[in-house]
Amino acid sequence: MSTTIIETGGLTRNYGDICALKPLDLKVPEGEWLSVMGHSGSGKSTLLNLLGGLDRPSNGSLRVGGEDMQGLTEDGLARFRREFVGIIFQQHHLIPYLTAVENVMMAQYFHSVPDEAEARLALERVGLGHRLKNRPSELSGGEQQRVCIARAIINSPKLLLGDEPTGNLDHKSTLMVMELLKELRAEERFTIVMVTHNPEVAAWGDRTIYLDDGILVREERTRS
Amino acid sequence: MTKRRWLVYLVARALAHRKGRTVLLLAVLAMASSLATALGIVSISMGKRVAEEVRKYGANLVIIPDSARLDVGSGGLNFGAVTEPAYLNQQEVEGALARSGLKPGRSFHLRGSLHWKDADILVEGVNFDEIRQLFPWWQIKGGWPAAGEAVVGSDMAARLGLKGGETLELAGPGQSVRVRVSGIVSSGGEEDGLFFLSLPELQKVLGLEGKLTTVRLLVTAEGESLKKRAAALQPLLPKAKVSEVRQIARTSEGLLAKVKLLMVLVTAVVLISAGSSVTGTMSTTVLERGKEIGLMKAMGGGRWEVLLIFSAEAIMLGLFGGGAGYLLGSAVAQFITRAVFATSADFIPWFACVSLGVSLFLALLGSVGPLISVFRLDPVRSLRGE
Repeated sequence: MSTTIIETGGLTRNYGDICALKPLDLKVPEGEWLSVMGHSGSGKSTLLNLLGGLDRPSNGSLRVGGEDMQGLTEDGLARFRREFVGIIFQQHHLIPYLTAVENVMMAQYFHSVPDEAEARLALERVGLGHRLKNRPSELSGGEQQRVCIARAIINSPKLLLGDEPTGNLDHKSTLMVMELLKELRAEERFTIVMVTHNPEVAAWGDRTIYLDDGILVREERTRS
Repeated sequence: MTKRRWLVYLVARALAHRKGRTVLLLAVLAMASSLATALGIVSISMGKRVAEEVRKYGANLVIIPDSARLDVGSGGLNFGAVTEPAYLNQQEVEGALARSGLKPGRSFHLRGSLHWKDADILVEGVNFDEIRQLFPWWQIKGGWPAAGEAVVGSDMAARLGLKGGETLELAGPGQSVRVRVSGIVSSGGEEDGLFFLSLPELQKVLGLEGKLTTVRLLVTAEGESLKKRAAALQPLLPKAKVSEVRQIARTSEGLLAKVKLLMVLVTAVVLISAGSSVTGTMSTTVLERGKEIGLMKAMGGGRWEVLLIFSAEAIMLGLFGGGAGYLLGSAVAQFITRAVFATSADFIPWFACVSLGVSLFLALLGSVGPLISVFRLDPVRSLRGE
């Protein structure tokens, strides 16, 4: 029986009078690939930010990897992020003045120490061994997203969060990225929570939950 | 790669990426620190130079006898007081100067009246070697006197019809002296109306061996003020009055103080302007790099770690700006001192610390606001570009 890596109870997030996430009860077992779907403003990203320790809940409980997220200080949340989580962004958010390998090393810097050999290996794993010294502006969208994936997995996180990671990619690049995530997950056995509005992308997950106006309205298992 | 080396590399890359802004910040910091350096070096050099210039004006302290005062009257009648000529004791003055620790330039003077033909003429006894050092502006038409010779002031020479090479016999109360006029002196001062003999000769003719009427001293004008030096010397000469030659001392010290104040004010204005400029530029940089800061925090960078990266940028800018400022400031100081004083400025290596300190202070002070923003920045909002 697999352990639960994410557990929420009545998890709520308010921004002033606006309730972005209404009381949510959710359990994610370790190693699961959970897709989160919903329209814009449905609370998908809010949930992802809470799971990644980038934001704090207004109410309810949230435990990720056994950590009570509400009990963590700012520095505790930073430690949680660097040790437990890898995040893939829709906009890639690569540092423009660093090369591909240096962008990966940046994540190592906050985690432990920058190790170029390890960073190079990570990029080779995502098929970018020939683009190590290129800057983000010299890479295609798909390549930039693969650098982002390499950066997210370099510290061997237990939880990989994707915020519309294929939102800016064409169909071919999307498939390439999803295949890559599938391979990496098989190797690393991390848990994935991926926010998307694309049903095809959501279908790569084991389970999909649907949010609407901050409420979990439906969930379905997409893979056995 | 160690974390420290990575930090330095990262900061260097970030600064190189924003060449224009980095150059602007470096220019501002270098200009501000170079101004502080230049004015500091000029100020120090100027102080020394002014002291040297003051030396050219001659004595700045004078010792005169405290006139003997005698009340005249009897019983209830008081007819006032009379003063009789008083003299300084040359030996006592020499002893006092030795005990004072001051090593001033000095000239001993004895003034008296000698008779020549049908006239009394005002004669001053001096040591001509002392005079040449202490009153370098004296212009002698003819030559400086040797033994048995004298010089005469230009006004007196004109009045008495004296010429260089002429020999005179001057009569004193008990004896007379025969001297040859070696030259005519003109100084633009009271010296032009006097006749100068060697001090021992005049003392002998007047029967005042070991007596003086005035001692002129030149002490360095740096540091302790003349007034304090005069006060320190006074107790050693209880029968004399030590006073400053006020107009020269005060003018030079006052002028120096005003120029230094002006320099401090100019430097303060420039530093405030530079600080504002640094704040503006750093704020813009932080605003532009909001997503980068958010990303660093999202990757697990703690607030202090991210703050360290941006502080390191300010420190690196400060160090390079300060280094450039020292070199530039030293060059500017050289230019100013050459242009104004026709001499080279002192090479002051420790001013590199001042320049670096000013530049670092400005860079960090100007970055305080932006760095607080970096510290507080919410990663979610900044990644969204808010």
